[in-house]
Amino acid sequence: MRNRDISFWIFLTPVLLGLGLVVIIPLLFGIYYSFTNWNGLTATEFLGFANYIDLFKDEEFRASLWFTIKFAVVSVILLNVLGLGLALLVTQGMKTSNFLRTIFFMPNLIGGLILGFIWQFIFVSAFSGIGDLLGIEALKGWLSDTETGFWGLVILNCWQWAGYIMIIYIAYLENIPKDLMEAAEIDGANSFQRFKNITFPLVAPAFTVSMFLTVSHSFKIYDQNLSLTGGGPFNSTQMVAMEIYKTAFNDNQMAFAQSKGIIFLILVATVALTQVYYNKKREVEM
Amino acid sequence: MKGKKWYAGLLSTLLASSVVLGACGGTGDDKEKASSGEKVTVDIFQFKVEFKKQFEDLVKQYEKEHPDIKINVKTVGGGNDYGAALKAAFSSGDEPDIFNVGGPSDVQNYREYLADLSETKAAKAALEGTLDSVKDGEEVLGLPFNQEGYGYIYNKKVFKKAGIDPASIKTYEDLEKAVKTLDSKKKELGIEAVFALAAKEQWVIGNHLANVFMAPDFNHSVVEAFNAKSAPFTKSEELKRMLDLQAKYSVQPVLSLDYSQQVEQLFSLGKVAMIQQGNWTYNSIYDIDPEFAEKNIGFVPIPVEGFEGKLPVGVPMYWAVNKKSDEKEVTAAKEFLDWMYTSDAGKKAVLEDFKFIPAYEGYDTSKIADPLSKEIYKYASEGNTIGWVFLGSPTGWQEGVLAVNMQKYLSGESTWDEAIKKAQEAWEKSRQ
Repeated sequence: MRNRDISFWIFLTPVLLGLGLVVIIPLLFGIYYSFTNWNGLTATEFLGFANYIDLFKDEEFRASLWFTIKFAVVSVILLNVLGLGLALLVTQGMKTSNFLRTIFFMPNLIGGLILGFIWQFIFVSAFSGIGDLLGIEALKGWLSDTETGFWGLVILNCWQWAGYIMIIYIAYLENIPKDLMEAAEIDGANSFQRFKNITFPLVAPAFTVSMFLTVSHSFKIYDQNLSLTGGGPFNSTQMVAMEIYKTAFNDNQMAFAQSKGIIFLILVATVALTQVYYNKKREVEM
Repeated sequence: MKGKKWYAGLLSTLLASSVVLGACGGTGDDKEKASSGEKVTVDIFQFKVEFKKQFEDLVKQYEKEHPDIKINVKTVGGGNDYGAALKAAFSSGDEPDIFNVGGPSDVQNYREYLADLSETKAAKAALEGTLDSVKDGEEVLGLPFNQEGYGYIYNKKVFKKAGIDPASIKTYEDLEKAVKTLDSKKKELGIEAVFALAAKEQWVIGNHLANVFMAPDFNHSVVEAFNAKSAPFTKSEELKRMLDLQAKYSVQPVLSLDYSQQVEQLFSLGKVAMIQQGNWTYNSIYDIDPEFAEKNIGFVPIPVEGFEGKLPVGVPMYWAVNKKSDEKEVTAAKEFLDWMYTSDAGKKAVLEDFKFIPAYEGYDTSKIADPLSKEIYKYASEGNTIGWVFLGSPTGWQEGVLAVNMQKYLSGESTWDEAIKKAQEAWEKSRQ
């Protein structure tokens, strides 16, 4: 018993050490700094909750928080609908399904920054070119106002992540026992009924995973935001991660940015974990 | 052209071979140490990506002439990224011996690390006014990189075809008239619009455009702006009408128009007649159309009432020496900077390889590489300049607050008065 205990801890040490050094200790330092006037080099004064009180008065932070929440809600819904849709499409046993899976997953392999620049070109130049050609006003001036900036970001995010979410759904869809489906078919259930009563409940665990991934990803998005809109126009498409970065490195208010970061962490963790808790309850045991 | 390519080829071979040599250098180092006593190592941490290669070549040349000194150059690009990386370098204890500071606020942040450079030859040769923002009493805490300037860069061909004499544009009314003439002849001239206003780039409107109308409030002094408790904006109406003029006659929509569209896609290809930009655009224009860049572009100053015919010229960045390094390293660092800006070999590189507009006396200015820089140097040497006060505004204010509110005004989200009021409030708040 004792031997196993020692080896247990020995094997665990590298991981614990890594986790402690790059996650736990920086987090503790970060929490401490958020209560001071740290400027990135030195902290001279302990301020208590002053930073936290200020940040609720910070209009820009609130605006970016609201924008991020809207973005996250829309993205999470669209991503899961698209991901499940694509997964259903490529599990129909078509000849091209392997090829399609690869194609759908591909955008996920491209870095967010590059994707942002590619889509910026599409939205700004290609869209307006098509708009000029066909006389469609709605295609012109993309990314120059808040609304098109918002939808631009949503489209980019969905395009990049739908394929990834699709893979998760595929894994669960392929695990649905064939006999269940056959039995239902013999009993006369049509395809919609089969989907609603068999497929849907059985992929519930995939929902939990996908929801968690999409929620945390959509909240923390930064690179796509930076390269697609850069937060503009007038910072109206600026997400929280970017706002925090700007507070820290443009405005040089390190401690204030740190306190925003802590609030952001609490928010994302709460939303993601609550969601896991409720979705877990819905899952069906086979 | 051919000569240029050959030169670039040589440069890259030199660089490649120096990398190889550098890799072998590890073992050689110890031997040298044994023979010549001690080797002083100077770490340079700089921000200007554009001249990284040329700068490293100059460093190699210096090392050859001074075998007892070894210089490591690290380059991290772009304003904000550099600031963050420098901060990280200092807080992790990996402090460079030579680094860059931008203006009074950087000087304040890094004050305890900045060595006095007033005894260097370069500081004595620096042009009048270029040291103002890095002076603390008698101490000089930085040495200017170079000078830069901006205005309306115009397409000479288009102006000629439209029958406009750029030299006659002095006041706002003159400019407006010229713009209207150009606009009415758009089809003949083959242009899409008169201007390309890159309002997506916050520095274009927030730093540069606003600066010319704010500089008079602070007597063109960065230091005065840095100490000001509030921003008076006495020329707020002038700023508004200039922004309106540019936005109205620009390629639309301005709020998603960025720097590369403005300079490369629109101006370099002759699709617009004028852009509000500076001499740093020269290489981009040259890459697209060398002939156009060499012969057909020039500056029209942004007209400011009372300051017509003046160009905003300033020093974007300074070299600083870390006081807390070893004494030997500090001396070596100062010697290197002196050599770069005052020795003949250094001067040659500064003018011809870096393509800088020198901020120091004693240069053969006929060798300034491009027409835009030449024109700026002319304005600067005649004293026809407007200061760069935006380096003295509160950190992040110019882009993060003023430019954002100007964008809001352009999009119709807020009125001009609201925009300026918000900007003023933010200034006062950060200077409390």
